[in-house]
Amino acid sequence: MTTMVEVFTSPGCRVCGRAKTLLREIAEQVGCDRIHWRAINVLEELDYAVDLGVLSTPAIAIDGELIFTGLPPMHALRAELDRRLAIET
Amino acid sequence: MRRKADDKRPEYRIGDVTRLTGLSADTLRYYEKIGLLPSIARTASGIRIYTDKDISRLRFIQRAQKMNFSLAEIASLLTMREAPQRARNNVRELTSMKLEEIEARLKDIRTLRNELQLLLNLCRTSDAGCPIIESLDRHENR
Repeated sequence: MTTMVEVFTSPGCRVCGRAKTLLREIAEQVGCDRIHWRAINVLEELDYAVDLGVLSTPAIAIDGELIFTGLPPMHALRAELDRRLAIET
Repeated sequence: MRRKADDKRPEYRIGDVTRLTGLSADTLRYYEKIGLLPSIARTASGIRIYTDKDISRLRFIQRAQKMNFSLAEIASLLTMREAPQRARNNVRELTSMKLEEIEARLKDIRTLRNELQLLLNLCRTSDAGCPIIESLDRHENR
């Protein structure tokens, strides 16, 4: 099973680029076969973003659940993903 | 607004009520005529004297009208409001139905509020224009 990570971004959001970089690095560390991630421009998927409770960018959802609002520290995101992947295995 | 010397409960003349509720005097008299308000007490000279309970009832009517409930529906809901334990089955069913409508409306309102909040937050943090404007433009051009 893979974990789905979604990072919500918006035009003109400087921190969003860092969130995507962070996620890309973690996905490479953990293994792209275990984590699928995608970047979502909230303006393109407003309904979905609002349904999840996104009120600002960047925001990160894991498996359809909003987990981080703002840019999380790398260790926090990594710990959350490790926890979920451990439950799955 | 006036108080009787021997009574702490405030009393209101029709002008006071129009100021408090924004309803016109004609509307107040009409509501009394069709029974949405009980028969209002009068002074010896025939001036209507409203109580806090009447004001509360009028505010309920106004809220219900904002939900687009009909006057007939509001009249039924008022009987429920007056004596819930004695309400007839059809009135209970109507109340339950209206509660569901309100819950659905609340859900819509919450979603709309969150969407607008998100767009405003994006506006505040963006250094490349305002996404709320771009989003609205796109919706208009669809």
